[in-house]
Amino acid sequence: MSMHNLVRNNDALREQLAAEYVLGTLKGGARRRFEGWLHDDAALRRAVAEWQDRLTPMAEFAPEAKPRAQVWRGIEQRLNLAARAPAPGWQFWRSESVNFWRGLGAVASAVALVLAVALTTQMSQAPRIDYVATLTDDKAQTALLLTADSRHQALNVRLVGNAPVAADKTLQLWAVPKQGHPRSLGILADRGAVQLALTSSAIGADVALLAVSLEPKGGSPDPNGPTGPILYKGNWVRAM
Amino acid sequence: MPSDVHSLDPQQLRSWLQGAARRDAAAFRALYDATSSKLFGFALRILVKRELAEEVLQESFVAIWNNAGTYQSQLAAPMTWMATIVRNKAFDLLRRSDATAEIDGEQFDSEIMNALQDPGATPIEALQLSSDAQALAYCMSALEGLHRQAIGLAFFHDLSHSEVAQQLALPIGTVKTWIRRGLDRLKTCLQKRERA
Repeated sequence: MSMHNLVRNNDALREQLAAEYVLGTLKGGARRRFEGWLHDDAALRRAVAEWQDRLTPMAEFAPEAKPRAQVWRGIEQRLNLAARAPAPGWQFWRSESVNFWRGLGAVASAVALVLAVALTTQMSQAPRIDYVATLTDDKAQTALLLTADSRHQALNVRLVGNAPVAADKTLQLWAVPKQGHPRSLGILADRGAVQLALTSSAIGADVALLAVSLEPKGGSPDPNGPTGPILYKGNWVRAM
Repeated sequence: MPSDVHSLDPQQLRSWLQGAARRDAAAFRALYDATSSKLFGFALRILVKRELAEEVLQESFVAIWNNAGTYQSQLAAPMTWMATIVRNKAFDLLRRSDATAEIDGEQFDSEIMNALQDPGATPIEALQLSSDAQALAYCMSALEGLHRQAIGLAFFHDLSHSEVAQQLALPIGTVKTWIRRGLDRLKTCLQKRERA
C-alpha cells in the first residue's frame, strides 16, 4: 500500500498533516509529498482550507501598523491602476466582462420593451422600433431609454431618471465599436426626450456598447472620444 | 487608521475582492484601506524590519489583485486568504534574502497572548479582532502557556519542530506532542464555539 493510500484511509493522520502543513511545522520532503497528494485529493484540500481558516486569524494578534503612503503608490504603479480609473471611460468599460453584460441584457431588454411600448403609444404615426436600449448607471438603475425607429430614421432618446446636469455641462451619447474610436451620436437634452438621426454608426453590427459621457457644454472637445466620465452605458437589443 | 470592526466584515471584504476580480480599481482601493494596517502589522511581526514588511505588503497586494479571480469564497474567509498570501510572501522573502528575523518568544507571548490568559482582564473584544480571530484568541487562551507559545512560534516564524524545541529549550519529542495536542484542542474548542 502506497504512502498516500495509507494517509487516505487514516482520518486522524490526515487531520494532523493538514494542520501541521498550515502551521508550517511540516517541512522538507514530507511537505513536498503532502503537496503532491493535494493535487488529486479534494478532501485533503478541504481539510487544509479548514485549518487555514482556524489558524490564520492568528495574523490579527499582531498589533496593527500603518504602512507608508508610498506602498499604495507602488502598488498602483505596478498594476497600472490609474489607467483603470473611470476618467478615460470607454476603454475601461469595453474591457469589462462580457458575462456581466449578458446577464444584464436579459433584464434590461425586458425593461426596455415595456418602456418602448409606453413611449411609442404617444406617437402619432406608428414608428417601427427595430432596436431598443436601456442605459444604466453604475448601480444598474435605468437612466436612459433609446429606441431606433427605422421608419423615421430616428434615434429617440429619453431620460428616464432625473439626474441634474450642471449648467456648464452636456451629456453626450456615444456608440463604442469593437475596434477603433467611439463615435459621437449626438448631444442630449438635459431632461426629457431628444430625437437624433439614426445612422449606421449608431446601430452598426460593430457597436459593442452605448455610453453617455459628461462633457463640457457643447460636447467633447476630442473628436475621437469622450473626455469626461462615463455616466451611463448599455447596449442594443432587437425589439422583435 | 483605526480599522473598525465593520470594515472587516467578511461580506464586505468578499464583495471588494470580487470587485478586484472584475478589475474594479476603486473596490481594490477600498479593500486595501480596510485591511492594509492589519496585514502590515502581521508582516511586521514576521519580518520586524519596516522596509521588508512594506516590500512584502506591496508584493502581496499585487498578488491579491492578480489572483482575485481565483479566490473561492466557499473555501476560505477573505481575511484568511489575504493573510495566507502575506505570510507566504514574508517567508519567501526570508528564505530568499537569508535574513534571519529576530525571534523573540518573550515579546510574542507578552502582548496579546498575555492578555488572553485572562480574557476578563483585557476584553478580547477590545482588541478589535474579527470574529474568527476572537474565537481563536479565546480558544488559545485556554491552552497551556508553553503549548500556545510553541504554536505561535511555529506560525509566525516558519519554524520546524526542532527549531521550536531549540527556541524553548525543550526536547523535540515534547514539542511535537504539545503542538499536536494543542492543535487538537484548538479544533475541538473552535467547533464547540461554532455550534454554540
